[in-house]
Amino acid sequence: MSRKPLRIGAWLPPAIALAVFVLLWQLYADHHPYVAPKLSKVLSELDSHPRLFARNAWTTLEEALVGAGAGMGVAFALALVMFYVRVIERALLPLAVVLNVTPLVAIAPALVVAFGFGMTPKYVIASLLVFFPFLVNALAGLRDVDPEALDLVATLHASRAEVLWRLRLPSSLPYLFAAGRICMPLSLVGAVVAEFVAAGEAKGLGTLVVTAASLGDLGTVYAAVVVLAVLGVAMFGAVVALQRLVLGRYRPSVGARRG
Amino acid sequence: MTPTDDAIVFRGLHKTFGRGNERVKVLDGVDLSVQRGQFVTVIGPSGCGKTTLLRLAAGLVEPDAGSVSLFGASVADATAEKRIGFVPQAPALLPWRTVLDNVLLPLQVNRKVPSSKAAPDAVELLTALGLGDALQRRPRELSGGMQQRVAIARAFVFDPPVLLMDEPFAAVDELTRESLRHSLLTIWQASGKTVLFVTHSVTEAVALSDVVVVMSANTHGIQRVIPIDLPRPRDDLVETTPEFLALERELRLELRKGSK
Repeated sequence: MSRKPLRIGAWLPPAIALAVFVLLWQLYADHHPYVAPKLSKVLSELDSHPRLFARNAWTTLEEALVGAGAGMGVAFALALVMFYVRVIERALLPLAVVLNVTPLVAIAPALVVAFGFGMTPKYVIASLLVFFPFLVNALAGLRDVDPEALDLVATLHASRAEVLWRLRLPSSLPYLFAAGRICMPLSLVGAVVAEFVAAGEAKGLGTLVVTAASLGDLGTVYAAVVVLAVLGVAMFGAVVALQRLVLGRYRPSVGARRG
Repeated sequence: MTPTDDAIVFRGLHKTFGRGNERVKVLDGVDLSVQRGQFVTVIGPSGCGKTTLLRLAAGLVEPDAGSVSLFGASVADATAEKRIGFVPQAPALLPWRTVLDNVLLPLQVNRKVPSSKAAPDAVELLTALGLGDALQRRPRELSGGMQQRVAIARAFVFDPPVLLMDEPFAAVDELTRESLRHSLLTIWQASGKTVLFVTHSVTEAVALSDVVVVMSANTHGIQRVIPIDLPRPRDDLVETTPEFLALERELRLELRKGSK
């Protein structure tokens, strides 16, 4: 794959914006230490308790990944059923829309009652959050097939399974990756929200944030936020990397030109 | 002539699209027989139903009345036995597959049908069409004309006895059309296939065909059937002969009568 090296025009503006942000933060923190901790304090928290953050990050990451995997898997399976059985789509899509517009934070306490204080409610909340965007994109992807290619395989009497495997699934991949880029960071939100509500396990970055905030330990709060941001970027980046690997085939190879 | 000499038979075809006030009559009583091994072109103004006729033969559209048969069997049987090679208007290549894999697609679906012993080798076919260097390229790396060559190779690769081609050269420039015409004639002549070809190009119709069927947008039926008695094999030089030009003129006048 031919990728141009990042030009100065691409990285300089965000670098300057970041530097200005850091500077303003520091100036503000100098005068209001109880609202915004100094960045040096945030960094030293990370530096002095690396294991604490790593352990809790791992818990939250696991909740997010399991939740995202389950949510996307169920959403894709349902998309297939909805695609082939129209009446099921008509029956269930409105319910999915209602689920999507319902603030999940409101359901979270009820889920804790239902599933206890273990990992289950965290998985469930993370998966509920990713369910709808993945469902809608999977449905759109399964539908977006070149109609002339469908005509062609119809004249060959291709079976439904063959059309699904040879045409619909490959055509839907760009949609699934677009959904994945949204869903992976979203599952992290789900995991943290679940930890806020059900802190019983006393694990995870969300739990750490709640506990530290109640003690007025802003350094730890912001250190956890920094770790969460890094996790979110990493999950997004992983989807993009996988997309490049898989969908690279959709694009021309190196040195190619259009005739 | 015995009935089995007819490869494609359209009988009493009627077709209307839409409902209520928006009903559009497309075909109104079409009867046509295409003999085995013939290259038959259907030409006519927009809205005369030529593409619908082709799609009926491909089983992509159902008639309101009348019937279509291929070698005495129904269209459904013909598709089930992979006896139709379809070339759509756009090449309809799958962007994630290489040129070679696109050509192999018909062999990978509906595998209940055993592949023909006379089926050409995909690589040889692509080489004959001038794509020998492009086997591992992606469709987007090819020009429109080259993409259409891939679509032609894909229709030949499983050796169907009938080819249905829906304005396959409509989207490419005149020079490319000419070269595509001659490539198609070359591989078709060796194959003995029956071809039903839809076009709106007068030159294309005369250059390729044994018979040109002129359809009318007024009657939604066949206006005239013109035999093209030019010698084969035909090369580009035939297009400059007086006979060719006379046929072109005749066809053009006929088309003028049939337009709205």
